[in-house]
Amino acid sequence: MSAPTGYARLLFSMAALLTLTACTTTDIASVEEPAAVPMTGQTNDPAPGFESVLPGSKEDFILNVGRRTYFNEDSASLDSVARATLDKQAAWLVSNPRWLVKLQGFSDDSGSASSMVKLSQKRADAAMAYLASKGVASSRMWAKGYGNDREVRDCTDRSCKVQNRRVVTNLRTERDAP
Amino acid sequence: MVWTRRDMMLGGLALIGAEAAGKPAFAAASSYFAGQAVDNGVTYRATNFAAIDKKWHRQVVKYFSSEPIGTVVVDTRHHFLYLIMENKTAIRYGVGVGRGGFKWYGRATIDQKSLWPRWTPPADMRKRHPELPKFVERGSPKNPLGPRAMYLLRDGVDTGYRFHGTLEPGSIGRDASSGCIRMFNEDAIDLYQRCPIGTAVQVLPHIADQAPQVSDATPVE
Repeated sequence: MSAPTGYARLLFSMAALLTLTACTTTDIASVEEPAAVPMTGQTNDPAPGFESVLPGSKEDFILNVGRRTYFNEDSASLDSVARATLDKQAAWLVSNPRWLVKLQGFSDDSGSASSMVKLSQKRADAAMAYLASKGVASSRMWAKGYGNDREVRDCTDRSCKVQNRRVVTNLRTERDAP
Repeated sequence: MVWTRRDMMLGGLALIGAEAAGKPAFAAASSYFAGQAVDNGVTYRATNFAAIDKKWHRQVVKYFSSEPIGTVVVDTRHHFLYLIMENKTAIRYGVGVGRGGFKWYGRATIDQKSLWPRWTPPADMRKRHPELPKFVERGSPKNPLGPRAMYLLRDGVDTGYRFHGTLEPGSIGRDASSGCIRMFNEDAIDLYQRCPIGTAVQVLPHIADQAPQVSDATPVE
């Protein structure tokens, strides 16, 4: 397939993209974090906290390691990509022992709501067990499955679902209130 | 990652991949590298980010357009690739894009990913650059695709375009490729981890927030 060259074709694809982007993002995933202040400023400004990123900070973890581990449909097993992400997380967590770690599991798979909660818990548990096997103290970590409560929505079905089959490795300074 | 028959078919298709090295455009190339890095058993030259404009470094920025979380958006004009995150933020990477006549725009999904991919230069590219090999085997640090390739398909059909690494860090921030989106090798490795199969991609002339002023917009005929 060759690159589109015609001007008309370009206009058409731009129009198609405008239609695509007209829907709004529901920041469901923001529930993972404390409520963020409404963002002001402009696109391409440094995000709050990212003006200069210190090694060992939460921002360092987000930018240079990555918090999200993805899973295949109806599966809580770690594939090679997931293990590579967790390997990197484990190395960082071992060198930055001040952080506690909450593993938040999510699912958007087949089955009932309760089976999805189970699956998301299995995912979070699998990520935690793997981190522990790589030297992160179990006493620093806990895991919770949220089922399909906190979905990324408003994308095509497939692209949304792959985002929702995830575990987020959340850095914490204290444990959840009981 | 298991190398399936489908991978082989994709790999065997005419990849409109990175235009390989061999031209003097980025002659000061050696300063763009600093030491070596090992990834999945392959030793490659690490990018010397101290010699690269900070603008092109991976960073977390504000992002006010409305694409869903997890979407990859390429702003071709400004040479940025954004991975949309929560709370109106995105990870931004500097990229090299297609040079004149090789630009393309549209939506796609990342349907296949490959570690240290093999590379078959398309016939057209070999015509332009007869010095290119017919084929680069998997796991070669001399592969113009670099350590990772993410294959862009639309409705299951290969667009021929990819996100991938590069042998020419100096080409990041420029219109240099035959249409592929090239990244620093370290960034290609990073993005590969963050984009599950099925990730939505939009390649735009520019993002809505960066639209040109009306005065310098191209008039519609």
